[in-house]
Amino acid sequence: MMLIAGTVPVEGMPLTMGKALDQGDTIVIGDQRIPCTQGTAAMISAALVTTTYLGLDAPLGLVIGDIGDGKGSRELYRYLIDNVARLLPKVLALHYWLPDMQQTRDLCRAVDKCSRRPVMIADAASMYSAKAARLASAFDIFTPDATEIAFLADAEATHPAYVARHLFETDVTQAPELARTAYRNGNSAKLLLVKGSVDYIIRDGEVLAKVEEPDVPALEAIGGTGDTITGLVAALSYCGLEPHEAAIIAAKANRVAGQFARATPATRVWQIIHQFPGVFRGHLCSWSGVCCTKGENHD
Amino acid sequence: MAFLQRKREPKTEGTGLVLFQEVQQAMHAEKVLKAASHAVRLVAPPPELRKGCDLAVEVNLTEQPAIERLLRERDVAYISVEPLRIGTAPLLDVVKVTDFGQWVMVRAGNMKITYDKGSGIIVNVSGGGCPDIPYLYAQLVDRPLGDALRPTEIGFTLCALNLERALTECLALHTRGNNS
Repeated sequence: MMLIAGTVPVEGMPLTMGKALDQGDTIVIGDQRIPCTQGTAAMISAALVTTTYLGLDAPLGLVIGDIGDGKGSRELYRYLIDNVARLLPKVLALHYWLPDMQQTRDLCRAVDKCSRRPVMIADAASMYSAKAARLASAFDIFTPDATEIAFLADAEATHPAYVARHLFETDVTQAPELARTAYRNGNSAKLLLVKGSVDYIIRDGEVLAKVEEPDVPALEAIGGTGDTITGLVAALSYCGLEPHEAAIIAAKANRVAGQFARATPATRVWQIIHQFPGVFRGHLCSWSGVCCTKGENHD
Repeated sequence: MAFLQRKREPKTEGTGLVLFQEVQQAMHAEKVLKAASHAVRLVAPPPELRKGCDLAVEVNLTEQPAIERLLRERDVAYISVEPLRIGTAPLLDVVKVTDFGQWVMVRAGNMKITYDKGSGIIVNVSGGGCPDIPYLYAQLVDRPLGDALRPTEIGFTLCALNLERALTECLALHTRGNNS
Protein backbone atom coordinates (compact mmCIF):
# COMPACT_ATOMS: atom_id res chain seq x y z
CA MET A 1 0.00 0.00 0.00
CA MET A 2 1.10 3.57 -0.65
CA LEU A 3 0.59 5.90 2.29
CA ILE A 4 0.61 9.68 1.79
CA ALA A 5 0.58 11.71 5.00
CA GLY A 6 0.24 15.43 5.53
CA THR A 7 -1.83 18.26 6.89
CA VAL A 8 -4.72 19.92 5.06
CA PRO A 9 -6.05 23.47 5.52
CA VAL A 10 -9.38 22.47 7.05
CA GLU A 11 -9.57 23.88 10.56
CA GLY A 12 -10.51 21.29 13.16
CA MET A 13 -10.59 18.34 10.76
CA PRO A 14 -9.81 15.19 12.77
CA LEU A 15 -7.11 12.70 11.86
CA THR A 16 -8.56 10.75 8.97
CA MET A 17 -7.22 7.79 7.03
CA GLY A 18 -8.76 6.14 3.99
CA LYS A 19 -8.49 5.37 0.30
CA ALA A 20 -8.64 8.60 -1.67
CA LEU A 21 -11.48 9.25 -4.13
CA ASP A 22 -11.33 11.83 -6.92
CA GLN A 23 -14.31 14.17 -7.25
CA GLY A 24 -13.12 16.79 -9.69
CA ASP A 25 -11.77 19.76 -7.77
CA THR A 26 -12.15 17.87 -4.49
CA ILE A 27 -10.79 14.65 -3.05
CA VAL A 28 -12.64 12.54 -0.52
CA ILE A 29 -10.88 10.64 2.26
CA GLY A 30 -13.09 8.81 4.72
CA ASP A 31 -16.00 11.15 5.29
CA GLN A 32 -13.95 14.28 4.64
CA ARG A 33 -14.08 16.38 1.46
CA ILE A 34 -10.85 18.27 0.85
CA PRO A 35 -10.42 20.96 -1.82
CA CYS A 36 -7.79 19.95 -4.35
CA THR A 37 -5.59 23.00 -3.96
CA GLN A 38 -1.92 23.52 -3.17
CA GLY A 39 -0.48 21.05 -0.67
CA THR A 40 -1.17 17.51 0.45
CA ALA A 41 -4.48 17.33 -1.44
CA ALA A 42 -2.77 18.09 -4.77
CA MET A 43 -0.14 15.47 -4.05
CA ILE A 44 -2.70 12.80 -3.16
CA SER A 45 -4.82 13.70 -6.17
CA ALA A 46 -1.89 13.39 -8.60
CA ALA A 47 -0.96 10.03 -7.09
CA LEU A 48 -4.59 8.92 -7.33
CA VAL A 49 -5.05 9.66 -11.03
CA THR A 50 -1.80 7.80 -11.67
CA THR A 51 -2.76 4.69 -9.72
CA THR A 52 -6.20 4.76 -11.33
CA TYR A 53 -4.62 4.87 -14.77
CA LEU A 54 -2.27 2.04 -13.90
CA GLY A 55 -4.99 -0.09 -12.34
CA LEU A 56 -3.37 -0.05 -8.92
CA ASP A 57 -5.07 0.42 -5.58
CA ALA A 58 -5.69 4.02 -4.62
CA PRO A 59 -3.28 5.78 -2.26
CA LEU A 60 -4.14 5.65 1.40
CA GLY A 61 -4.38 9.23 2.60
CA LEU A 62 -3.55 10.06 6.21
CA VAL A 63 -4.57 13.68 6.75
CA ILE A 64 -5.49 16.07 9.53
CA GLY A 65 -6.54 19.70 9.69
CA ASP A 66 -3.79 22.16 10.58
CA ILE A 67 -3.87 25.83 9.66
CA GLY A 68 -0.33 26.33 10.91
CA ASP A 69 -0.45 26.19 14.70
CA GLY A 70 1.06 22.71 14.64
CA LYS A 71 -1.59 20.92 16.71
CA GLY A 72 -2.70 18.70 13.84
CA SER A 73 0.90 18.13 12.82
CA ARG A 74 1.83 16.79 16.25
CA GLU A 75 -1.08 14.37 16.20
CA LEU A 76 -0.12 13.20 12.73
CA TYR A 77 3.51 12.59 13.72
CA ARG A 78 2.38 10.67 16.79
CA TYR A 79 -0.03 8.46 14.82
CA LEU A 80 2.63 7.63 12.23
CA ILE A 81 5.27 6.90 14.86
CA ASP A 82 2.89 4.57 16.70
CA ASN A 83 1.46 2.83 13.64
CA VAL A 84 3.90 2.80 10.72
CA ALA A 85 5.22 -0.67 11.57
CA ARG A 86 1.66 -2.02 11.64
CA LEU A 87 0.58 -0.25 8.45
CA LEU A 88 3.77 -1.35 6.68
CA PRO A 89 3.40 0.79 3.54
CA LYS A 90 5.41 -0.05 0.43
CA VAL A 91 5.78 3.68 -0.23
CA LEU A 92 5.58 6.32 2.52
CA ALA A 93 5.30 9.87 1.16
CA LEU A 94 5.41 12.69 3.69
CA HIS A 95 4.28 16.20 2.94
CA TYR A 96 3.07 19.38 4.68
CA TRP A 97 3.35 19.58 8.45
CA LEU A 98 5.03 21.75 11.06
CA PRO A 99 8.67 20.69 10.85
CA ASP A 100 9.77 19.13 14.12
CA MET A 101 13.16 17.50 14.50
CA GLN A 102 12.38 15.42 17.57
CA GLN A 103 9.24 13.91 16.03
CA THR A 104 11.08 13.27 12.78
CA ARG A 105 13.79 11.39 14.66
CA ASP A 106 11.14 9.30 16.42
CA LEU A 107 9.45 8.57 13.10
CA CYS A 108 12.69 7.47 11.44
CA ARG A 109 13.37 5.17 14.39
CA ALA A 110 9.89 3.69 13.98
CA VAL A 111 10.50 3.17 10.25
CA ASP A 112 13.78 1.41 11.05
CA LYS A 113 11.77 -1.13 13.03
CA CYS A 114 9.47 -1.98 10.09
CA SER A 115 9.84 -5.57 8.91
CA ARG A 116 10.08 -4.22 5.35
CA ARG A 117 11.44 -0.74 4.79
CA PRO A 118 9.14 1.54 2.75
CA VAL A 119 10.35 3.75 -0.07
CA MET A 120 10.64 7.01 1.86
CA ILE A 121 9.70 10.21 0.01
CA ALA A 122 9.60 13.71 1.49
CA ASP A 123 8.59 17.07 0.09
CA ALA A 124 7.71 20.43 1.65
CA ALA A 125 8.17 20.72 5.42
CA SER A 126 8.69 16.99 5.97
CA MET A 127 11.83 17.50 3.88
CA TYR A 128 12.74 20.55 5.99
CA SER A 129 12.47 18.58 9.22
CA ALA A 130 14.41 15.60 7.82
CA LYS A 131 17.26 17.90 6.80
CA ALA A 132 17.18 19.89 10.04
CA ALA A 133 17.33 16.66 12.03
CA ARG A 134 20.27 15.53 9.88
CA LEU A 135 18.27 12.53 8.73
CA ALA A 136 18.09 13.34 5.02
CA SER A 137 20.07 10.27 4.04
CA ALA A 138 17.39 8.07 5.62
CA PHE A 139 15.10 9.11 2.77
CA ASP A 140 15.04 7.67 -0.74
CA ILE A 141 13.65 10.70 -2.58
CA PHE A 142 13.42 14.44 -1.92
CA THR A 143 11.70 16.74 -4.40
CA PRO A 144 13.07 20.25 -3.68
CA ASP A 145 12.43 23.31 -5.81
CA ALA A 146 15.16 25.83 -6.64
CA THR A 147 14.89 27.54 -3.25
CA GLU A 148 14.82 24.29 -1.38
CA ILE A 149 17.95 22.89 -3.04
CA ALA A 150 19.75 26.00 -1.75
CA PHE A 151 18.32 25.19 1.67
CA LEU A 152 19.64 21.62 1.47
CA ALA A 153 23.05 22.97 0.44
CA ASP A 154 23.20 25.35 3.42
CA ALA A 155 24.73 23.28 6.21
CA GLU A 156 23.19 25.32 9.04
CA ALA A 157 19.75 26.46 7.85
CA THR A 158 16.81 24.72 9.49
CA HIS A 159 14.22 26.48 7.29
CA PRO A 160 14.44 27.95 3.76
CA ALA A 161 13.79 31.44 5.16
CA TYR A 162 17.27 31.33 6.71
CA VAL A 163 19.21 30.25 3.63
CA ALA A 164 22.50 32.07 2.97
CA ARG A 165 21.95 34.74 0.35
CA HIS A 166 24.78 33.59 -1.92
CA LEU A 167 23.21 30.13 -2.15
CA PHE A 168 19.70 31.46 -2.69
CA GLU A 169 20.76 33.75 -5.51
CA THR A 170 22.25 30.99 -7.64
CA ASP A 171 20.27 30.11 -10.76
CA VAL A 172 18.83 26.71 -11.54
CA THR A 173 21.82 25.69 -13.66
CA GLN A 174 23.83 25.56 -10.43
CA ALA A 175 21.43 23.05 -8.89
CA PRO A 176 23.88 20.17 -9.54
CA GLU A 177 26.62 21.92 -7.56
CA LEU A 178 24.20 22.70 -4.72
CA ALA A 179 23.07 19.07 -4.76
CA ARG A 180 26.67 17.87 -4.53
CA THR A 181 27.22 20.16 -1.54
CA ALA A 182 24.07 18.86 0.12
CA TYR A 183 25.16 15.29 -0.53
CA ARG A 184 28.67 15.88 0.86
CA ASN A 185 27.15 17.36 4.02
CA GLY A 186 24.74 14.45 4.48
CA ASN A 187 21.77 16.71 3.75
CA SER A 188 20.47 14.94 0.66
CA ALA A 189 18.15 12.02 0.15
CA LYS A 190 19.56 9.25 -2.03
CA LEU A 191 17.73 10.74 -5.03
CA LEU A 192 16.83 14.35 -5.63
CA LEU A 193 14.33 15.61 -8.16
CA VAL A 194 15.07 19.33 -8.31
CA LYS A 195 12.03 21.12 -9.73
CA GLY A 196 12.60 24.26 -11.76
CA SER A 197 12.81 25.69 -15.26
CA VAL A 198 15.13 22.73 -15.75
CA ASP A 199 14.35 19.66 -13.66
CA TYR A 200 17.39 17.72 -12.47
CA ILE A 201 17.38 14.10 -11.36
CA ILE A 202 20.41 13.60 -9.14
CA ARG A 203 21.51 10.43 -7.36
CA ASP A 204 24.20 10.43 -4.68
CA GLY A 205 25.24 13.90 -5.78
CA GLU A 206 25.60 13.05 -9.49
CA VAL A 207 23.24 14.22 -12.26
CA LEU A 208 21.48 11.28 -13.94
CA ALA A 209 19.16 13.29 -16.17
CA LYS A 210 17.73 16.71 -16.81
CA VAL A 211 14.29 17.48 -18.18
CA GLU A 212 13.63 20.84 -19.81
CA GLU A 213 10.97 20.22 -22.46
CA PRO A 214 8.30 21.25 -22.94
CA ASP A 215 9.06 24.60 -21.35
CA VAL A 216 5.94 25.85 -19.54
CA PRO A 217 7.08 28.81 -17.41
CA ALA A 218 3.59 29.41 -15.99
CA LEU A 219 3.85 26.21 -13.95
CA GLU A 220 6.11 27.98 -11.46
CA ALA A 221 3.31 30.36 -10.54
CA ILE A 222 0.63 27.70 -10.08
CA GLY A 223 0.30 26.63 -6.48
CA GLY A 224 0.54 22.84 -6.19
CA THR A 225 2.49 21.97 -9.35
CA GLY A 226 5.45 20.90 -7.22
CA ASP A 227 3.11 18.80 -5.10
CA THR A 228 1.79 17.04 -8.20
CA ILE A 229 5.32 16.03 -9.22
CA THR A 230 5.86 14.44 -5.81
CA GLY A 231 2.52 12.64 -6.06
CA LEU A 232 3.53 11.29 -9.47
CA VAL A 233 6.91 10.15 -8.14
CA ALA A 234 5.21 8.35 -5.26
CA ALA A 235 2.70 6.57 -7.50
CA LEU A 236 5.28 5.60 -10.12
CA SER A 237 7.61 4.28 -7.40
CA TYR A 238 4.67 2.31 -6.04
CA CYS A 239 4.07 0.74 -9.43
CA GLY A 240 7.59 -0.68 -9.29
CA LEU A 241 9.74 1.77 -11.22
CA GLU A 242 13.17 2.59 -9.86
CA PRO A 243 13.21 5.97 -8.08
CA HIS A 244 15.19 7.68 -10.83
CA GLU A 245 12.85 6.32 -13.53
CA ALA A 246 9.85 7.52 -11.53
CA ALA A 247 11.43 10.95 -11.12
CA ILE A 248 12.23 11.39 -14.81
CA ILE A 249 8.74 10.38 -15.90
CA ALA A 250 7.13 12.57 -13.23
CA ALA A 251 9.09 15.61 -14.39
CA LYS A 252 8.13 14.99 -18.03
CA ALA A 253 4.48 14.25 -17.25
CA ASN A 254 4.02 17.42 -15.20
CA ARG A 255 5.39 19.57 -18.02
CA VAL A 256 3.29 17.90 -20.70
CA ALA A 257 0.20 18.18 -18.49
CA GLY A 258 0.89 21.91 -18.21
CA GLN A 259 1.13 22.11 -21.97
CA PHE A 260 -2.09 20.10 -22.46
CA ALA A 261 -3.90 22.41 -20.01
CA ARG A 262 -2.55 25.48 -21.85
CA ALA A 263 -1.44 26.62 -18.43
CA THR A 264 -1.34 30.30 -17.55
CA PRO A 265 -0.31 31.75 -14.19
CA ALA A 266 -4.02 31.79 -13.30
CA THR A 267 -4.58 28.07 -13.94
CA ARG A 268 -5.54 25.95 -10.91
CA VAL A 269 -3.64 22.81 -10.03
CA TRP A 270 -6.62 20.47 -10.42
CA GLN A 271 -6.79 21.53 -14.07
CA ILE A 272 -3.24 20.25 -14.48
CA ILE A 273 -3.94 17.04 -12.57
CA HIS A 274 -6.85 16.15 -14.83
CA GLN A 275 -4.53 16.14 -17.84
CA PHE A 276 -2.42 13.28 -16.49
CA PRO A 277 -4.51 10.40 -17.93
CA GLY A 278 -4.18 11.92 -21.40
CA VAL A 279 -0.46 12.46 -20.87
CA PHE A 280 -0.05 8.83 -19.82
CA ARG A 281 -2.07 7.55 -22.77
CA GLY A 282 0.12 9.50 -25.12
CA HIS A 283 3.54 9.02 -23.58
CA LEU A 284 3.87 6.60 -20.68
CA CYS A 285 4.53 3.54 -22.82
CA SER A 286 7.38 5.20 -24.71
CA TRP A 287 8.80 6.85 -21.60
CA SER A 288 8.72 3.84 -19.32
CA GLY A 289 7.79 0.62 -21.08
CA VAL A 290 4.63 0.48 -18.93
CA CYS A 291 2.38 -0.23 -21.91
CA CYS A 292 -0.33 -2.59 -20.78
CA THR A 293 -2.13 -2.36 -17.48
CA LYS A 294 -5.49 -3.30 -16.08
CA GLY A 295 -6.31 0.35 -15.51
CA GLU A 296 -7.78 3.18 -17.50
CA ASN A 297 -5.36 2.82 -20.40
CA HIS A 298 -6.49 -0.71 -21.13
CA ASP A 299 -8.84 0.09 -24.02
CA MET B 1 -7.00 5.84 36.02
CA ALA B 2 -7.31 9.31 34.58
CA PHE B 3 -3.57 9.90 34.84
CA LEU B 4 -3.03 7.32 32.12
CA GLN B 5 -5.04 9.45 29.72
CA ARG B 6 -3.22 12.68 30.51
CA LYS B 7 -2.54 14.68 27.39
CA ARG B 8 1.04 14.28 26.27
CA GLU B 9 2.90 17.57 26.49
CA PRO B 10 4.48 18.36 23.14
CA LYS B 11 8.23 17.93 23.25
CA THR B 12 10.57 19.43 20.75
CA GLU B 13 14.16 19.73 19.82
CA GLY B 14 14.37 23.46 19.37
CA THR B 15 15.90 25.22 16.41
CA GLY B 16 15.65 28.77 17.73
CA LEU B 17 16.13 30.85 20.88
CA VAL B 18 14.17 33.77 22.26
CA LEU B 19 16.59 36.04 24.10
CA PHE B 20 15.64 38.32 27.02
CA GLN B 21 17.07 41.17 29.01
CA GLU B 22 15.84 39.73 32.32
CA VAL B 23 15.35 36.23 33.74
CA GLN B 24 11.75 37.03 34.81
CA GLN B 25 10.86 37.89 31.22
CA ALA B 26 12.15 34.51 30.04
CA MET B 27 10.16 32.66 32.69
CA HIS B 28 7.00 34.62 31.86
CA ALA B 29 7.49 33.95 28.14
CA GLU B 30 7.86 30.24 28.73
CA LYS B 31 4.51 30.18 30.58
CA VAL B 32 2.75 32.20 27.89
CA LEU B 33 4.11 30.06 25.06
CA LYS B 34 3.39 26.76 26.80
CA ALA B 35 -0.18 27.88 27.51
CA ALA B 36 -0.58 28.37 23.76
CA SER B 37 0.66 24.80 23.12
CA HIS B 38 4.04 25.78 21.75
CA ALA B 39 6.70 23.18 22.51
CA VAL B 40 9.32 25.26 24.37
CA ARG B 41 11.80 24.98 27.23
CA LEU B 42 14.02 27.22 29.30
CA VAL B 43 17.71 26.89 28.47
CA ALA B 44 20.98 28.72 28.95
CA PRO B 45 21.92 30.36 25.66
CA PRO B 46 25.33 29.44 24.25
CA PRO B 47 27.93 32.20 24.78
CA GLU B 48 27.98 33.02 21.04
CA LEU B 49 24.28 33.93 21.08
CA ARG B 50 23.97 35.43 24.54
CA LYS B 51 22.51 38.93 24.76
CA GLY B 52 21.01 40.22 28.00
CA CYS B 53 20.39 37.61 30.69
CA ASP B 54 21.63 34.02 30.86
CA LEU B 55 18.22 32.41 30.44
CA ALA B 56 16.48 31.91 27.08
CA VAL B 57 13.49 30.03 25.70
CA GLU B 58 14.23 27.35 23.13
CA VAL B 59 11.57 27.27 20.41
CA ASN B 60 10.81 25.76 17.03
CA LEU B 61 12.26 28.48 14.79
CA THR B 62 9.71 27.74 12.07
CA GLU B 63 7.08 29.21 14.42
CA GLN B 64 8.99 32.49 14.84
CA PRO B 65 6.20 34.77 13.51
CA ALA B 66 3.54 33.16 15.74
CA ILE B 67 5.82 33.29 18.78
CA GLU B 68 6.74 36.94 18.27
CA ARG B 69 3.08 37.86 17.69
CA LEU B 70 2.02 36.13 20.90
CA LEU B 71 4.77 37.74 22.98
CA ARG B 72 3.84 41.16 21.62
CA GLU B 73 0.13 40.57 22.33
CA ARG B 74 0.94 39.55 25.93
CA ASP B 75 3.39 42.42 26.43
CA VAL B 76 6.29 40.09 27.12
CA ALA B 77 9.47 41.99 26.37
CA TYR B 78 12.20 40.10 24.50
CA ILE B 79 15.36 41.09 22.70
CA SER B 80 15.24 38.90 19.62
CA VAL B 81 14.61 35.46 18.17
CA GLU B 82 17.75 33.80 16.83
CA PRO B 83 18.51 30.53 15.04
CA LEU B 84 20.11 28.11 17.47
CA ARG B 85 22.74 26.85 15.06
CA ILE B 86 25.79 29.06 15.09
CA GLY B 87 26.60 30.32 11.61
CA THR B 88 23.02 30.39 10.33
CA ALA B 89 22.53 33.19 7.80
CA PRO B 90 20.24 36.12 8.61
CA LEU B 91 16.60 35.99 7.48
CA LEU B 92 16.53 36.11 3.72
CA ASP B 93 15.05 39.34 2.33
CA VAL B 94 15.48 38.83 -1.42
CA VAL B 95 12.49 39.74 -3.60
CA LYS B 96 12.30 38.93 -7.31
CA VAL B 97 9.66 39.93 -9.87
CA THR B 98 8.70 37.96 -13.00
CA ASP B 99 6.52 39.54 -15.70
CA PHE B 100 4.10 37.08 -17.33
CA GLY B 101 2.38 39.71 -19.51
CA GLN B 102 -1.12 39.84 -18.04
CA TRP B 103 0.21 38.69 -14.67
CA VAL B 104 3.10 39.46 -12.34
CA MET B 105 4.73 36.93 -10.04
CA VAL B 106 6.55 38.23 -6.97
CA ARG B 107 8.86 35.86 -5.15
CA ALA B 108 10.11 36.52 -1.62
CA GLY B 109 12.39 33.76 -0.41
CA ASN B 110 10.58 30.49 -0.96
CA MET B 111 7.12 32.04 -1.48
CA LYS B 112 5.46 33.41 -4.62
CA ILE B 113 2.30 35.42 -5.23
CA THR B 114 0.95 35.99 -8.73
CA TYR B 115 -1.66 38.66 -9.47
CA ASP B 116 -3.51 40.02 -12.46
CA LYS B 117 -2.02 43.35 -13.49
CA GLY B 118 -5.35 44.88 -14.50
CA SER B 119 -7.62 43.84 -11.65
CA GLY B 120 -5.02 43.39 -8.92
CA ILE B 121 -6.64 40.06 -8.05
CA ILE B 122 -4.38 37.34 -6.66
CA VAL B 123 -4.59 34.37 -9.03
CA ASN B 124 -2.10 31.99 -7.42
CA VAL B 125 0.16 31.40 -4.43
CA SER B 126 2.98 28.88 -4.75
CA GLY B 127 6.06 27.63 -2.94
CA GLY B 128 6.58 26.92 0.74
CA GLY B 129 6.04 23.81 2.80
CA CYS B 130 4.65 24.79 6.20
CA PRO B 131 1.10 23.86 7.19
CA ASP B 132 -0.28 27.40 7.13
CA ILE B 133 0.56 27.86 3.44
CA PRO B 134 -2.33 25.84 1.98
CA TYR B 135 -4.58 27.73 4.42
CA LEU B 136 -3.15 31.07 3.34
CA TYR B 137 -3.58 30.01 -0.29
CA ALA B 138 -7.30 29.57 0.39
CA GLN B 139 -7.49 32.95 2.13
CA LEU B 140 -5.59 34.93 -0.52
CA VAL B 141 -6.43 33.50 -3.94
CA ASP B 142 -9.23 35.28 -5.83
CA ARG B 143 -9.01 38.33 -3.56
CA PRO B 144 -7.89 41.80 -4.65
CA LEU B 145 -4.44 42.60 -3.28
CA GLY B 146 -5.80 45.44 -1.16
CA ASP B 147 -8.43 43.24 0.51
CA ALA B 148 -6.16 40.30 1.20
CA LEU B 149 -5.69 39.26 4.82
CA ARG B 150 -2.10 39.73 5.97
CA PRO B 151 -0.15 36.46 6.18
CA THR B 152 1.64 37.49 9.36
CA GLU B 153 -1.69 38.21 11.06
CA ILE B 154 -3.27 34.84 10.29
CA GLY B 155 -0.21 32.68 9.54
CA PHE B 156 2.21 31.10 11.97
CA THR B 157 5.45 30.20 10.24
CA LEU B 158 8.49 31.50 8.43
CA CYS B 159 6.83 30.59 5.13
CA ALA B 160 4.01 32.98 6.12
CA LEU B 161 6.59 35.66 6.84
CA ASN B 162 7.99 35.32 3.33
CA LEU B 163 4.46 35.37 1.92
CA GLU B 164 3.87 38.64 3.79
CA ARG B 165 6.96 40.11 2.13
CA ALA B 166 5.73 38.99 -1.27
CA LEU B 167 2.31 40.54 -0.63
CA THR B 168 3.87 43.80 0.52
CA GLU B 169 5.89 43.97 -2.70
CA CYS B 170 2.82 43.11 -4.82
CA LEU B 171 0.87 45.93 -3.18
CA ALA B 172 3.70 48.39 -3.73
CA LEU B 173 4.04 47.41 -7.40
CA HIS B 174 0.32 47.53 -8.09
CA THR B 175 -0.22 50.79 -6.23
CA ARG B 176 2.56 52.45 -8.23
CA GLY B 177 1.06 51.04 -11.40
CA ASN B 178 4.49 49.63 -12.04
CA ASN B 179 3.75 45.98 -12.53
CA SER B 180 7.15 44.73 -13.50
